Amino acid sequence: MAGFLTNLLDATISAGTIFIIGALGEIIAERAGILNLGMEGMMLVGALTGYMTTVVTGNPWIGLGVAIVGGMLMSLIHAFLTITLKSDQVISGVMLTLLGTGLTTYFGARWTGRSIDGMKDISIPVLEQIPILGSAFFTNPATDYMAFLLVPSVWYLLNRTNLGLELISVGEDPETADTMGVSVFRLRYLAVLIGGALAGLAGAHLSLAFTGIWTGGLTAGRGWIVVALVIFARWSPIYAVAGAYLFGMLEALQIRIQGLELVFDVLPNVVNEAIAFFASPQIMATYPYFITVIVLAITVARSREGASAVPSALLQSYSREMD
Amino acid sequence: MTNGGSPSFLEMRGIVKKFPGVIANDEVDLKVKKGEIHGLLGENGAGKSTLMKILYGLYTKDGGEIVLDGEQIDLESPQQAINAGIGMVHQHFMLIPKLTVTQNVILGKREASNTLTAGKEGSSGVLKSLGEMFSIDRKGPQERIKGLSDDYGFGIDPTEPVWQLEVGEQQRVEILKALYRDVDLLILDEPTAVLTPNEASKLFETLEELADDGLSIIFITHKLYEAKEITDRVTILRDGKHIDTVDTADMTEADLAERMVGHEVLFDLDKSEVAKGDVKMRADNLHALDERGLPAVEGIDLEIKSGEIVGIAGVSGNGQKELAECLVGVRDIEEGTITVNDRDLTNKHPRKFIEEGVSFIPEDRLKYGLAPELSVMHNAGVKEYRKKRFQSGPFLDYDELEAYANEIIDKYDVRGISDARKMQSGDLSGGNMQKLIVGRESYRNPDVLIANQPTRGVDVGAIEDIRRNLLAQREKGMGILLVSEDLDEVLDMSDRILVVYEGEVVHETTPEETNKQEIGLKMTGGGSTEDSEGAVATDGGQTSKTEALPTNQDADNSNGGER
Amino acid sequence: MNIDVDFTARQEVPRWLAYGSSVFTILAALLVGAVALVTLNVNPLDAYQVMFVQQLTGLTGISNVLEKSTPLILAGLAVYIPLRAGLWNIGATGQIYIGAIIGTWIGINVTAPSFVLLILMFLGAALGGMLWGFIPGYLRAKWGVNEIITSLLISYAAIEINGYMVRGPMQGGAGNFPVSAVLPSGAQLPEIPIIESHIGILIALLFAVIVYVVVQKTNVGYEITFTGSNPDAARQAGMNSFYIYVMVFVAAGALAGMAGLIEIAGVQDRLRPDFSPGYGFTAIVVALLGRGNAFKVVLAALFFGLLLVGGTSLEVAYTVPSALVEVIQALVILFLITAEFLKSYKVDIDFTMGESKPNPTASAEEGV
Repeated sequence: MAGFLTNLLDATISAGTIFIIGALGEIIAERAGILNLGMEGMMLVGALTGYMTTVVTGNPWIGLGVAIVGGMLMSLIHAFLTITLKSDQVISGVMLTLLGTGLTTYFGARWTGRSIDGMKDISIPVLEQIPILGSAFFTNPATDYMAFLLVPSVWYLLNRTNLGLELISVGEDPETADTMGVSVFRLRYLAVLIGGALAGLAGAHLSLAFTGIWTGGLTAGRGWIVVALVIFARWSPIYAVAGAYLFGMLEALQIRIQGLELVFDVLPNVVNEAIAFFASPQIMATYPYFITVIVLAITVARSREGASAVPSALLQSYSREMD
Repeated sequence: MTNGGSPSFLEMRGIVKKFPGVIANDEVDLKVKKGEIHGLLGENGAGKSTLMKILYGLYTKDGGEIVLDGEQIDLESPQQAINAGIGMVHQHFMLIPKLTVTQNVILGKREASNTLTAGKEGSSGVLKSLGEMFSIDRKGPQERIKGLSDDYGFGIDPTEPVWQLEVGEQQRVEILKALYRDVDLLILDEPTAVLTPNEASKLFETLEELADDGLSIIFITHKLYEAKEITDRVTILRDGKHIDTVDTADMTEADLAERMVGHEVLFDLDKSEVAKGDVKMRADNLHALDERGLPAVEGIDLEIKSGEIVGIAGVSGNGQKELAECLVGVRDIEEGTITVNDRDLTNKHPRKFIEEGVSFIPEDRLKYGLAPELSVMHNAGVKEYRKKRFQSGPFLDYDELEAYANEIIDKYDVRGISDARKMQSGDLSGGNMQKLIVGRESYRNPDVLIANQPTRGVDVGAIEDIRRNLLAQREKGMGILLVSEDLDEVLDMSDRILVVYEGEVVHETTPEETNKQEIGLKMTGGGSTEDSEGAVATDGGQTSKTEALPTNQDADNSNGGER
Repeated sequence: MNIDVDFTARQEVPRWLAYGSSVFTILAALLVGAVALVTLNVNPLDAYQVMFVQQLTGLTGISNVLEKSTPLILAGLAVYIPLRAGLWNIGATGQIYIGAIIGTWIGINVTAPSFVLLILMFLGAALGGMLWGFIPGYLRAKWGVNEIITSLLISYAAIEINGYMVRGPMQGGAGNFPVSAVLPSGAQLPEIPIIESHIGILIALLFAVIVYVVVQKTNVGYEITFTGSNPDAARQAGMNSFYIYVMVFVAAGALAGMAGLIEIAGVQDRLRPDFSPGYGFTAIVVALLGRGNAFKVVLAALFFGLLLVGGTSLEVAYTVPSALVEVIQALVILFLITAEFLKSYKVDIDFTMGESKPNPTASAEEGV
């Protein structure tokens, strides 16, 4: 049992890291008013470029760096289209997911099936000895620690810095921010680029630490879960952590639960079948989606004007002399 | 009233600003002295807002120059304006509801937190700006804001989120934003549009205090009595041009009005006697909320008879808009009933009102009246398309719809349309758009027409057309509710007048029994007629322009102090 | 040296741009695609010849194109209709899957004469799709919940549900593979003689005509168009946006659901996991290209069908991953966006030596 728990926790943390890093990036972008539906594509680009670089150079750290740049380049396109050209954010985002998926499958086809020395685990002395938790929290590849550190950093950025205040203002009411001398364009660009960078980092974690391989479509929809997660977390980095590990645990459970025999003779057949249904991996995979839809509906249905969590100017492009 | 120093503190010379199809500022001059309250007066569309937006860096001028305190400056962004010591309180508040007062006030100022800057005086530029970016000082500003608020008697709690503040308080936050930055020049754009009379008089007191402290103030308004009350000098703009700059004390309201409008404003509308018929629409004890969920209509009764124009007079923001929306089914009614032709339509869908013969001219034609990207034809037919004439089998007969649109265009003199089927309605000029809407709403011969500011933002020629048309409909037996900020319009056109103040009808009268002065008083929450200045003159339909409206001080006196 | 980029709003669109933009978009995308081919040492001209020309010469090619275009036509319409009302149906994929699941289930488990059975399958598929469209439509209509997010999320849920079905309740056929049983021949779509593609294309074209007529010629179409252009004005004019929003999404779901069924009953003959090669997303591109009316949607769908078939052939001929097709799709959108922008704004680029004054964006509306 302890072994199972440790194992589960380990997997939860690792799976959760992808979600946290991606979600933090998306939170920053959306709080500044730009919806980035290209997350999935950007994560894939990060995963592939990180992977390719690591294979060629043998150094996963360089791979991480390149992945971050790759993600940023993709998001730069999104920023240019939505901020400068004021195009529809939905179209641009979906396009980038298509582009990212297509490009990585296309160029990545010749890189499938190689093995690499991915990111090694780094253990924190003493703390790693703690039973169950030690292995899960304190023996991890570097990217997991990055995720841990990013959370308070992003929280601090948004809530305790001038830059963060301006970023939030730009996503709530760009016109007001403009009249206060805040550069709407620059901040939105910055926010989107940070989002892309973190997307790339999340992708790199996926290919270098979580799986250690590359294959087309590696992210398997995680990018969309990130988008869902941001809404579920009501655009707050703190809630995002909870949600990320929740969804991460669901993902980890999905695989592991298959090995368990969840038939209880005590219960009537019907109940056993219901359990089998709700615990089947595919059905479990739907939970993040349904949960998020319900949470979103509740959030929106109940929101009062001043208190709604949704960034008020999300999806609106801004231009100074237009009305 | 304060007198400023001698040379001009601010000079705008020969300012030109063009937009496609329109010259908003045509070589406009403006001179403001230090410590003076300078009014900028003009009708809607005269170019006042544009000029100030140029001054605040939101628009770039196409020509002319700006000289501030002797130095020529370029103002290409709000940041530059702020740096030059210019602050602006906008007509629509530039506040972020979710954030606190403090956050709203310090936004963009970038003060680093004390822990970061302690002992680092004189640190280099890059480090300093990084420090400012990545930290925030909350205590310091909070205290400063509280201090400013106390100094001027604002009574604001800096930690409160802005969405919880009342309108008057929110405006004070806007002023705090400027004061916090130690501006030398403060621009206020139609600040009293959303204030109660008491709040307005408080504002005026504050402005005088600030001017006494040396602040130069530019006060944009289109209301004559305001200009008379608060300003030292006034610059009048009309049609984008500078008309005159005068000392306020030397002017009467009639003088100002003449410069504003360009000619003696006497409307010559032939309003004939029309026999009133049945009650077409009746509203009892209406209660409704506004966009923010606050009470806007607080117990209004009214009746509209066939062949009568009921005028609703009131300062914008006292519930008239919400009242009009209730009467056409667009806004929910919390309490009360509405009947049309004796049918109860309380809280029914707008469709039912339309079917029952109620037409509506909304306040904001682009937002609610039209789909600007669709054709004139689409827009002209939007209330009638379900009728048999336009149905051909299971299909909608677009040829008939086009014919119908052309009928409206002809009858109501909507200009600038070559092909009603192809031309986008958004490409029409403002006046023609309004005529199209008025036409569409009148041509279907409704029983009741609710007209909310039907002549606002429309050129003079179109205004005459629209008014004549409304009177003609009245003769045909239509019942009309006319909500208008234009007191002259209300007095000239109405058979009965209801004055609305803070969501209630505070006075009911007829044009014969009242005058502009009395209505103006009631509109601003003033006292009973016996106490107002001057006797109530009976005008018989024409309005007199030479009497000054009673000031808020008089209102206070007659009420014996705070209301 | 200073580069000054200035945007000025156009008063009117130059003719060549207005009409040529779709063509220009496609050509530009193919050009960039050519670059991608070159990097894999493939001659783009040869590759495009295989992708496009070869498909259109010869019956098998045409038949394949028609079969691949059919779901795209229906799914494209499923995005087009809500788009007309101002809403985004990003969840066409999910509607496709649910429709396929229910339709296939009926085909396998219900006994009836072929004609009746097929009708039942289509009805079932339509109902399933309608349910999946109803959810985002209702949430948007009732509470204003963003339909982009909701339709997208439950779309992915639907893919998982399909995965569950083929491993569980609907698992069939030999062995333990995650596939359903094969549809009995009576449940498979008949073929059109000579062309040898299934009748799905006729069904799709039929619905395209219906959609065209409804949108362009009926009261409902008028209301959808007006609501899409200005929902506030539409409401004040008496239109019921609640009803319209739900209806367009339900209609969309029905169409997409049938698209899913056609793919199974016409081509694949059994349910598999992930059976849809991105039809739902491609449908978005199709609807954007064909934004004007239903027939343009059909044309766009045919083009992308050609692209899809071409991509598979390309993979076979040159071992170039068919993912190139996705790349080209994305590029089409990219250039479409750019063309849209160029239609509204004129871009002036100035190269000057030395300092130059910044000249911020000019305005596009009347001021006060």
